[in-house]
Amino acid sequence: MCETCGCSESGEFKIHDLQHKHDHDDHHHYDHDQHHDHQPEHAHEHNGVWHTHSHDQTQQKVINLNMNILSNNNRLAQLNRRFLEGRKVLCLNLVSSPGSGKTSILEKTIQALIPIRKIAVIEGDQQTLLDAERIEKSGAPAIQINTGSGCHLDARMIESALEKLEIEANSILFIENVGNLVCPAMFDLGETKRVVVISVTEGEDKPLKYPYMFQSSQLCLINKSDLLPYVDFNTEKTIEYARSVNPNMEFIIVSAKTGEGMDLWYEWLARQTK
Amino acid sequence: MSIHYQAISCREFAKFDFMHEFSLAIEVINLSQREAAKSNAREIQEITIEVGDLSGVEADAFGSALDLLVKDSILNHANVKIIRTPGKGICKACNLEFEMNHRMAACPQCRCFPSQINGGDEFRVVSLLVE
Repeated sequence: MCETCGCSESGEFKIHDLQHKHDHDDHHHYDHDQHHDHQPEHAHEHNGVWHTHSHDQTQQKVINLNMNILSNNNRLAQLNRRFLEGRKVLCLNLVSSPGSGKTSILEKTIQALIPIRKIAVIEGDQQTLLDAERIEKSGAPAIQINTGSGCHLDARMIESALEKLEIEANSILFIENVGNLVCPAMFDLGETKRVVVISVTEGEDKPLKYPYMFQSSQLCLINKSDLLPYVDFNTEKTIEYARSVNPNMEFIIVSAKTGEGMDLWYEWLARQTK
Repeated sequence: MSIHYQAISCREFAKFDFMHEFSLAIEVINLSQREAAKSNAREIQEITIEVGDLSGVEADAFGSALDLLVKDSILNHANVKIIRTPGKGICKACNLEFEMNHRMAACPQCRCFPSQINGGDEFRVVSLLVE
């Protein structure tokens, strides 16, 4: 190994002909400054340091992959899904902007349903154990995943959480994703369904601004309905916008605070396991 | 009921994960490392990645993220080629095929939407040139 640049000098590892054809019509290139032509015996510069070494013949080959970059996440998500299906667990991935009331909805839901349903929760936040503590107080087992600087949960994190959470058969597993309407849309966790929460203090055009999330969810909970008299939120418009990106979407208008509409949500949950 | 309650730190694999495109760049590096190992490659000279305009990935941000992260990985010396594919849609009402520059683009002929996406949602590693 060449200690300056890290390139190998051993037997079969030789000439890299890096005379790439650059077609700039519809391509964007991110060339690295280490690029250079290698001749059999030459001096060249790596990161400002000139040195010589020899390279013999090259054995280049092209590996055609056509591989989805999220394929590893998708594969792990399928494993999670199979694991949960095997235990007849209804797994719901709750996504929303920060502050829409996901945790409050979960608290109310647990308090109402824990006498009749087994419930477990995986909490995703960048920092703190606060949400898991709130869930714990409402009576359901909770695992907190702190993603650090991460902006979403991925299938690998759920896999590790499932190893720790002794999930019982026939239970409901709620995964509260990191508050973010962008990135979590791309990461399948292995959930049965995805539920997007929007609150009436947000703009009604959210479904148009974040179409990926609304396209990938099956149910939309419109929360904080108790505030409707005080805000300029047009519920019909929101539903119309969300249906325009996802015609099959279902909607339930709720207030976790007053309990309004929560029965419809519980009925929806019961229907999912029939 | 017993309460299970613990925190899992995901920081070890979220070190650079402050932006969506960074986690995707990490996926690309991991995928490249796996595939290179499978074919006993010592180095990847070129990687071709296709990023569709409707994939939800910002090609420029993704390229910059990859540039920052490749150091000490098998892609350190690789030429990164990002092919952008334009979004294409087919109108569900009048069957017109048209270029979609975003997912919510309406059919230019009858103004119907949403249209069926017919290309441009790809996000994949096309090929690796290895030795």
